[in-house]
Amino acid sequence: MSAMVSNPFSTRFTRPGRIDPLDDAGRRVDIDGLLERFRGLGSTAAIVGPHGSGKSTLLTHLAEAIERRGGRSSRVRLHSWRDALAAWKVIRQSAAGDAVCIDSWECIGPATRILLRLAARLSGCGLLVTSHQGTGMPELMRCGTSTSLLSAIVRSLPDHACWYETLICEADIEAAFANHRGNLRESLYELYDRFESRGRRIPGCVGADPDGGDGSDGVRHGIHEFTSGFSYVGAPERNLG
Amino acid sequence: MTMAADRGATMPRVDVQFDRPHRQHEPRDQLSVRYRIEGCDGERIRAIEHSVLWYTEGKGEEDIGVHFFQRITDRAMMPPALAAGAFSTPLPQSPLSYEGRIVKVRWCVRVRLFFDGSRDFVSEHVFVLGRIPPAGLPASRT
Repeated sequence: MSAMVSNPFSTRFTRPGRIDPLDDAGRRVDIDGLLERFRGLGSTAAIVGPHGSGKSTLLTHLAEAIERRGGRSSRVRLHSWRDALAAWKVIRQSAAGDAVCIDSWECIGPATRILLRLAARLSGCGLLVTSHQGTGMPELMRCGTSTSLLSAIVRSLPDHACWYETLICEADIEAAFANHRGNLRESLYELYDRFESRGRRIPGCVGADPDGGDGSDGVRHGIHEFTSGFSYVGAPERNLG
Repeated sequence: MTMAADRGATMPRVDVQFDRPHRQHEPRDQLSVRYRIEGCDGERIRAIEHSVLWYTEGKGEEDIGVHFFQRITDRAMMPPALAAGAFSTPLPQSPLSYEGRIVKVRWCVRVRLFFDGSRDFVSEHVFVLGRIPPAGLPASRT
């Protein structure tokens, strides 16, 4: 049997929504409190921060919290100004009280932003965006990064007790953080590579082998089982597969 | 799927048994799986989903393909006392499991439980399809 070693730094475990929402000191963000603040700001606000600082993760958690409370949220990720039309359509299709969450608001120009904000106002829906810089909208939260935050993220990844300090240690975390100037996403990619380089060489390092034995290459078979923990779903039929 | 919540809550446990040793299957094999659900109140389960799927794992975009899917919502159709269940499906010819450094292709059996209060719980159990050798190891430790 092939060695099967899940890399805890893969996108599967680190994409927005999979990582807990943490502030720049590595403390858990009070999502419900933030949602109250969003409503207090008239349901139009921005999450601001540099590349790879956790804005998309926070946006995902807030969107889920809205659904958990019985509201409706739609999410749009902008890659360029060409995606503005898709965002406009989503806003137009939204009803009063809905929330439209737009990632990478800085991808569109000032005139388009004004049009989208106007469309949201006409629809009566909330608008929650992420941006690298100030947007002219009320600031819901400013995201920052630190080695403490990266370390907290690393320690929250699956089966960390099996590999933390044996495969990836604090020195790796500090080096990755410094190499990428605080960009958490890029830092996690570097840790993926470091893990990949070391993970197959140390027997018994990753996960539990339910069959109780090592592979012929002396490497444990890795994470065979993964559980999500409890999650909240607004409508199960939209989450099939 | 939404972010895991209630990490401190008692988690259900889904034990899955494969019919082949070491979970090694060949293309076009018949995959037969038996599972057992423990640690939760069966009365609170609204639905169970079984699926057999593959996914990619790596640094970039993810890909996924669902090969087999079954959803049980009728309580009469659920396994007795929700203690155990089984399903079976023929496996396809591809994609084969692959253990690369940049990307990996994994097959798994996923059992998903839907509870009252819009909560769900997912348990995935990896198996191997085919016999592609893993990508080479790096020349030296970083």
